[in-house]
Amino acid sequence: MNLKREIPTSTMSGFALSAVLVLTILNILLQNIPTKIQTAGDELLKLNSTEGVANAVTTVVVYFRGFDTLGEIAVLFIASLGIGLMLDSNNRCNIKAESNFMLQTASKFLFPIIMLFGIYVMIYGHLSPGGGFQGGVIIASGVLLLLISHKEFEVPHSVIVLLETFAGVSYVLIGLIGLVVLDTFLGNFLPHDISNMGLLMSGGIIPIIYIIVGIKVGSEMGMIVQNLIKRSDNV
Amino acid sequence: MFEFFNQPEVIKIIVIIGSMALFFVGIFGLLTQKHLIKIFMSISMIESSLFLFFIGLMYKKSFLAPILTSNQEGFTNMNDPIPHAMILTAIVIGMAVLALGVSFAIEYYKLTGKTNIDEMTSLRH
Amino acid sequence: MTGIIILATFMGIIIIAFASIIQKKLADSIILFMGVGLGSVVLFFTFKAPDVALTEAVIGAGISSLIFLMALKHLGEKV
Repeated sequence: MNLKREIPTSTMSGFALSAVLVLTILNILLQNIPTKIQTAGDELLKLNSTEGVANAVTTVVVYFRGFDTLGEIAVLFIASLGIGLMLDSNNRCNIKAESNFMLQTASKFLFPIIMLFGIYVMIYGHLSPGGGFQGGVIIASGVLLLLISHKEFEVPHSVIVLLETFAGVSYVLIGLIGLVVLDTFLGNFLPHDISNMGLLMSGGIIPIIYIIVGIKVGSEMGMIVQNLIKRSDNV
Repeated sequence: MFEFFNQPEVIKIIVIIGSMALFFVGIFGLLTQKHLIKIFMSISMIESSLFLFFIGLMYKKSFLAPILTSNQEGFTNMNDPIPHAMILTAIVIGMAVLALGVSFAIEYYKLTGKTNIDEMTSLRH
Repeated sequence: MTGIIILATFMGIIIIAFASIIQKKLADSIILFMGVGLGSVVLFFTFKAPDVALTEAVIGAGISSLIFLMALKHLGEKV
């Protein structure tokens, strides 16, 4: 059995070329291992103690990179809009099969608990792991439970419009108030005393903005889930 | 016996080689599989490997999570919060963009009835 | 102990990912793909990043599976 006849030369050379590429990238990566370098994160951690928020990740997401978070929410909104346009609502139908009796009964117990957990994660985002992004997605998964257990359930479109408009407008408004009062967009104009660190009422505008982000992410994710589930089977 | 693996350089090498292997598993799936769902799955795996690389590269073993508790006195000896903040938003956005791609695939299937990428030749002629 | 956990979880993730790629049935493939997300949660928690771990847990378990299963329902198994 001749090996050269079975494997073409182009395959062999492609394999060799990719192996050389992999080894080169690995060599570059392994030579530049950061061991003891001063990063921007150390400076941000020092700055962090002036804002009075216990969770440093929350401060970076909402305050130091607050403008980027506004843009990321816009990206989420555009993705949700595209899904709504693609899976159009004209020929939507409910799920055909009747859902299980156990699922219907258990959803009545589980839905309030999931909602409570989501709202807790959202409100305590500046004290413990969590925040608006996570809490919004947990709330959307609660909506998903109702969608698969109750055939007739549907979040009304007007509620989604109201929540999204409120969240987006208030995010920009709070940023503009900060621009007027403190000369920076999203300036922390509410009192944020360091001695209050660890309490629920601490950090000035940071928990308020994270709750707003949570409302917006929750409504957008709920809309994505609802559009994906309610798409009809027939063309 | 296990002390060898606890050195910071060894942990970094494990992170680099492991996330690169996951990246190339995703590339392999992207090149060899024909079904659209498998291709989206491979792209998701590549994303996952990049997240692991970002978080793992700045990990210091003796440091703590960047959340202040009552046992600490200040924001010292903590891991870098910037990669955490970037990856946190990237995961959510990656999921939404994946849902957008899947919705495109569903509509394409409703129009043409094709899921194999070798049959998608309507632009070739 | 941390290094061993990281090494073992990485190897598990890579094996599960490869098994998920080469699987013939798409339903099996999707179920194995959720294992990649689960391993990522363990790794993020080991890397002292609880925020990212919480996000990945919610996304990987809740919404990502829904998206792929809905795609499977519409597109079907046949290649």
